[in-house]
Amino acid sequence: MRNYVAIVFDNTTKAYEALHAIWQLDDEMQITVHGTTVVHRNDWGSFQVDSKDTHPGLATAVGVGIGALLGALAGPAGAAIGAARGAAIGAASGGALGAVTDLGRADTRDQSRFETAWVLGRGQSAVIADVSEDSVGPIDERMRRLGGTVHRRAWSAVRDDKWFGDRAIYPYDGYLYPYDYDLYPYEYVPAYSPWWA
Amino acid sequence: MPDTKVKDAVDKARAAVQELHRTITDAAAKRGGAVKADLEAVSQKAKAVSESIKGSLAVQNGTTKKHLAEAMTYLEATGKHAADGVKSSGKELQTAVRQTIADARAAAQKVSEAVAAKRTSASAQPAGR
Repeated sequence: MRNYVAIVFDNTTKAYEALHAIWQLDDEMQITVHGTTVVHRNDWGSFQVDSKDTHPGLATAVGVGIGALLGALAGPAGAAIGAARGAAIGAASGGALGAVTDLGRADTRDQSRFETAWVLGRGQSAVIADVSEDSVGPIDERMRRLGGTVHRRAWSAVRDDKWFGDRAIYPYDGYLYPYDYDLYPYEYVPAYSPWWA
Repeated sequence: MPDTKVKDAVDKARAAVQELHRTITDAAAKRGGAVKADLEAVSQKAKAVSESIKGSLAVQNGTTKKHLAEAMTYLEATGKHAADGVKSSGKELQTAVRQTIADARAAAQKVSEAVAAKRTSASAQPAGR
């Protein structure tokens, strides 16, 4: 089963430990990781996406693309609020994930048991990963030991959103790194801080 | 550890494509001649990885083979755009670097999907096979 996984931590250091642990699970062949990134929400509510990219234009795209993905992960498809709406809200106002979650909560019960609404609170960090896993056990157990909270949404459900798929309005796959990484001093960490947040 | 958990040619191809992506994304932070030297290396490496995958296709199952064939297409595009970048400058060079990164990322995606398909089919096989 292929899923998008968001693992939320109270600090960045733990998020990076989790990032490496996810890739370690891949190395142990317990899961297959297609891409990962680390996202932070600072104390003022703005999102930052770790990126090696130094191009300001792309930095904006990183923010918008990952913001849309966060929205899609937070707002599962349902009668009251579709995943596309969730993506739209996420993309339009990354800081509104809490609202997305509230709107989506009633429908979440009808979704796959792997779909979970979530919120990235101020000061928290999250690892976002695109993974293939035969069982949720390996990630859940490893992340529990690190103190993280794991949320999942089926890859197919996110890809069905009109915002994504092959002709995505907000492409983000390119911003999930296909290998384990550490940021170096020269690397640019873009801030996702829309005017409406 | 079960004997299904042995890294093979597909895992090695994945590692090579990941390295390719790492090289080009690191190169994107450089300027001028340094970028071109890296692009030239990427172009050659993309061809080598594609040839390596081609050599292992015959022994792969349907889904794995499909993903690897798609990866080869992206690797060819990676090599082409990297080669274009070597011959260009200014905005054209920037565009070539962007396209090379996008193609390398797509190739990495397809190879990791091949790895996932292979691991899933291996874990689904009865023990002892």
